[in-house]
Amino acid sequence: MEKLAALGRLGLEIIASLGRSGRFLAGVLGGVSKPSVAFPLLVKQLYSIGVLSLAIIVVSGLFIGMVLGLQGYTILSDYGSEAAVGQMIALTLVRELGPVVTALLFAGRAGSALTAEIGLMKTTEQLSSMEMMGVDPLRRVIAPRLWAGFIAVPVLAAVFSVVGIWGGMLVGVEWLGVFEGSFWGNMQASVSFTSDVLNGVIKSVVFGFVCSWIAVYQGYDCVPTSEGISSATTKTVVYSSLAVLGLDFVLTAVMFGDF
Amino acid sequence: MYAHIEGCSRPPEAGPVIPGRLLETGMDTSPYIELEDVVFTRSGRRIFDGVSLRIPRGKITAIMGPSGTGKTTLLRLIGGQLRPDSGTITVAGENVPRLKRKALYRLREKMGMLFQSGALFTDLSVFENVAFPLRVHTALPEDMIRDIVLMKLEAVGLRGARELMPAELSGGMTRRVALARSIALDPELIMYDEPFTGQDPIAMGVLIKLIRDLNSSMGLTSVMVSHDVQESLSICHYACIVADGQVIGDGTPEELRAHPSERVQQFLHGHPDGPVPFHYPAAEAGQDWGITGSSR
Repeated sequence: MEKLAALGRLGLEIIASLGRSGRFLAGVLGGVSKPSVAFPLLVKQLYSIGVLSLAIIVVSGLFIGMVLGLQGYTILSDYGSEAAVGQMIALTLVRELGPVVTALLFAGRAGSALTAEIGLMKTTEQLSSMEMMGVDPLRRVIAPRLWAGFIAVPVLAAVFSVVGIWGGMLVGVEWLGVFEGSFWGNMQASVSFTSDVLNGVIKSVVFGFVCSWIAVYQGYDCVPTSEGISSATTKTVVYSSLAVLGLDFVLTAVMFGDF
Repeated sequence: MYAHIEGCSRPPEAGPVIPGRLLETGMDTSPYIELEDVVFTRSGRRIFDGVSLRIPRGKITAIMGPSGTGKTTLLRLIGGQLRPDSGTITVAGENVPRLKRKALYRLREKMGMLFQSGALFTDLSVFENVAFPLRVHTALPEDMIRDIVLMKLEAVGLRGARELMPAELSGGMTRRVALARSIALDPELIMYDEPFTGQDPIAMGVLIKLIRDLNSSMGLTSVMVSHDVQESLSICHYACIVADGQVIGDGTPEELRAHPSERVQQFLHGHPDGPVPFHYPAAEAGQDWGITGSSR
């Protein structure tokens, strides 16, 4: 009976938390700041969330592209189809790995930092002091970070895919000797802008929004102690990763499923 | 319980405010803040159970009480950061819990609050911290903002520290910068949350002087939450003691010192045992040590 009660409590807590995060999101999206105030704040966050994440995105994209080139060549050469390695790398990156891995890396690098930063601002009463100065922290602190994540992830995913394709080319063409014309030609012929590239962009937009929402909400809602910040940061990475992987399946089924 | 304000026209001897000055100069002496039968519950615990309080305009009011009795919560209720379960909280004639978001934020522009931790923005310099409310709420030109910020920093004795970052400040300096920031917009009300906690004697003396001088020079209504009895009573015009969700005593410092309540006297003199017991409620001692017949 106690276990049942505990399960019920957990369910209620989850529903309450979802409700709070929904109200929080409505509060963030509902408030509109003057462009002259909001734009500099957004640019600052784009730099710290987006530009400073470039290094990890570029390095990861390069290695993942190289691995895809190597694996693709090994598998495809068994069937004499190594010329298709370019299209395999491009489709894999544009449709799946670009948006998904970028979102996972974003959650680990920028999402956790966002949560910790906002959580620390809450713990040190900076958010409260802002409120008491007549400044809404949802507009001043949260909204620029949410929008910056929303904008940065699709751009980072595009960078990831481009660098990954280049890494695959390095291995496939420069190292393993696949004919360069086949590599690029097959890729161009098989990758569709609407069904592949655009769907990949839609995925990364959704992932960017969800990861940023989770990160800022966890920071804002955390228990204002060092333990609370630590727990919120962990939750950001775990929830974001699970949300990205779960949503990826749903979106893939909707976009590419042939039911 | 209803705290009266009429009896609080006499300031402490050390204070710079001349007794009855506000009345004599014809200034408005109506309460700036009124709490009427406020009930507030958090996490199933009743923090305030019908608290009524009037805080006079232009004077220093100290709200004292043991740790954990909800003194800071009271400030947050006044500032509209928390909403009471029932009762009214009126600040400058406006019922705070009923205000819409926009009106509440407009009202807060008339308030300044000094947080216990200072709550400075860690990514901004001292200068930028003080300039922050001016930049957000006014359209003043940069040279005027600079002049105002330097004047506020001069008032707290930290004009020379304008380029420092919050991490480079001592605890006392942090609170002084926070104080300069909270008066940047020349508020009508300033709330101090435990201003003396963790301060060395010199920093404490500086803060006492600043609170007193700001009150007298700017005519601010000051509300100070503290459990530092002597320091608070030395500068306030009026004080009340909160415990167990109620106001257990109130009046001028002299009235409080002569208060008949044992609980008030225990708090003011710091007696370890009394109506607030030394021992946390526990089972009979004999049970824990396995001795029959022994009890506490």
